[in-house]
Order: sequence, then C-alpha cells, then structure tokens
Amino acid sequence: MLGAALALGAALLGPGTAWAQGATPTRPDLSGFWINQYTPDLSVALGRQPPFTPLGAERWRTVDTSKDPTGICLPAGPSRGFTAPFPFLLVQHADAVSILFEYQATWRAIHLDGRGHPDDVAEYPYFMGHSVGRWEGDTLVVDTTGIDERSWLDTAGHEHSATLRLTERFTKTGADTVQWAVTYDDPVFFTRPWSITRTFTRGKAGDRLLPYTCNENNKDVEHLQKHQPNLNYVHTPGPDAKTPAKPPGDHER
Amino acid sequence: MNRRMAAMLVAGVVAWWAVGARVAAHHSFAAEYDRDKPVTLVGTVTKVEWMNPHVYFYLDVAGPARAVDHWSIEGGAPNSLYRAGWRKDSLKIGDVVTVDGYLARDGTKLANMRTATFPDGRSVLGGQQYYGTGAPPPTAPKPPPPGR
Repeated sequence: MLGAALALGAALLGPGTAWAQGATPTRPDLSGFWINQYTPDLSVALGRQPPFTPLGAERWRTVDTSKDPTGICLPAGPSRGFTAPFPFLLVQHADAVSILFEYQATWRAIHLDGRGHPDDVAEYPYFMGHSVGRWEGDTLVVDTTGIDERSWLDTAGHEHSATLRLTERFTKTGADTVQWAVTYDDPVFFTRPWSITRTFTRGKAGDRLLPYTCNENNKDVEHLQKHQPNLNYVHTPGPDAKTPAKPPGDHER
Repeated sequence: MNRRMAAMLVAGVVAWWAVGARVAAHHSFAAEYDRDKPVTLVGTVTKVEWMNPHVYFYLDVAGPARAVDHWSIEGGAPNSLYRAGWRKDSLKIGDVVTVDGYLARDGTKLANMRTATFPDGRSVLGGQQYYGTGAPPPTAPKPPPPGR
C-alpha cells in the first residue's frame, strides 16, 4: 500500500525530483567499504587488447610509460579508481552516490536527480568525469562523460580521447559483493565499445580509508626515465592479415 | 573469513607479489627500474620515510676501502604495508638489513626492494596486503596494543 502510494507520488511529481529516483524502501543499498580487484592492465581482464582504431593502436604502441599522469599525482580517472589496489567508500543517497577513493584521496559524484551532463562539460572536463545515474531494477546504471583525456585507463598505459563515454552497471550479487561492469565507448581510440567485469568485496567491520596524499613524498618523478617503451606492446597483424573473425561483442572471457 | 582462509589469502598475496607482480598503481615499474639489474645490498638503516606514495628507507652500505655508500630503497605503498601489519617502527634506525631488489635506470644509488630481511632471516616490509585488513604476514611483529 505504502509502496503504491510512493510510486503514484513519484509519477505525479515527475522526473527531476528525489522521489522519482528511488526514495522507496526497495532499492538495494550499495553503501559500504569496498575492496577492488586490482587490475593494472585492462587487456588482461578483457582477454585481448581492446579493439583499437589505427590511431588507438599507434598510441598503444608508442605510449611513454614514464608519463603516467598518476606518476605526477594527477587523478587516476573514474574507472582506474576502481581497478587500483586501494579500497573505496560508497555512500548512497536517493539523489546522489558518492565514491570516496582511498587512492589519491579522490572522489566521484554520481547524480541521481535526473539531471543530464552540463552543456560545456567537454570544455571543462573532470579527471574523474561527470556522472549521472539511474536505477534499472536493482542495477545502478551510470553514464560518465567529460573525462579529461590526460587520464589513463590503467597502469599499463591504455589511453583514451575526450570522446570517451563510460557506462557502468553496479549490481549487488550478495551481501558482501558488488559486480561492476564497465563499457568503454571511445570512437577515436576503439572501433566499437568493449566491456569488462570486476567484483568489489566488502571490507571488515571497522575498516577505514587510510591517508593518501600523493604528493607528500613523491620521489619517483625525479627518477622516471623518459621515453620508456611500452613493454606490454605485442605486435599484432594488421586488418589485412589472415586473422580469425572476432566475436561480435568484446567482453571478457 | 576464518583464520585458515585468511592465511591462504596472505600466502597467495605473498606468492603473487614475490613472483614479480608489482604494486605499480601509479606508474610503470619498468620506467624507473631495470628488472635485468638485480642487486643485493647489506647495510644499516639511517632513515625511514613512511609516506605516500611509497615507503622509503636509506642504507649505509659498506663499500670498498672503508667507503660508505648511501643507498635509497623504495618499498611498497604505506597503506598496503599497514594492512599487512607493518608499522613505521617495523624498520628502525640502526637495524642491519639485506635488501634484494632492482636498480634504478638512471644510475643513482636507488633500488626498488623485492625483499628485505634481518640477519636472523625474518622478512620485513614485505607481503603487502592489498585486500582488506586480513591477517598480518607470518613474520610481522605483534600489532600494537589497543588504544594506540
């Protein structure tokens, strides 16, 4: 009865209000202290290199691994925060979800109040992107654009362009696990969207985020050798070579 | 998680780490260190820096003809070490320690530690625990008393 009344109220009030976005007792609560599945190379999670465009392939071949933006303490970016070897806090409210990453003490704000992305987000990008979300049943679906192209997707050196759009799906798969499925859509770097799935594991009672001020004693920066080749690069034959047809959707094996 | 599972998890993490996987979350290991240049250093600790993004400690290493070489050793991430049970005073000024690691590419007296051991064979600042608070590594000192 109460649920029906709430649903009717949400319908009358329309989108853009907190009621419309899940002030019901039935949403799963993703809040908690979560531990990542450390993934320094996304191609290991995918099972192959992403489907590069020629530009993407050339950027992968020539990436200078001494120029990792996190090496000078620039933020990791929205998806790399979820693959780093440090935990995060997720705080869920009806109209916003906050992600507090231990790594570099950075954050993501996911707006659930029905708003879209700012018109000028491409001109004023965020290293962590601008995120809006909605519930599809029990799955939180998050759309992120405006990701500063200086961020890297992983430690191995997979890069992206300013056109990158992330779609993430957060689903509670148990009392202490959340599945995170992320799709990378970047027509400048990749010929088609591709996805990986990782699992977050809940920490113990009393777990806390530990301090991480990245630039308090960053001694690496003076020792990183310039123009380090991409040791992860493996030459693969071009499109004219006789290679087996790839399956239609790229997803991890 | 029960104690046996915790011990297996720690063993798995230590084994994974020892095989050469690095916590290179914020830069490529290969851009700074040379895996083909392993080095073993025996020295006396003169300083420990327990700060982000990496713990560093400094060794006076006996060189030829009574010279003393001053070496910098880069260790793991402080938070990962903390979760494995290590603390700021796990390594103290004056401790003698043997470090196996990899030389910096730029020719400076800098190495990235793979293992560090006391003369009695106990390891120190190893076995980083990336995943939760878990159990401390087998050779970690006892955790500090509650209330500290």
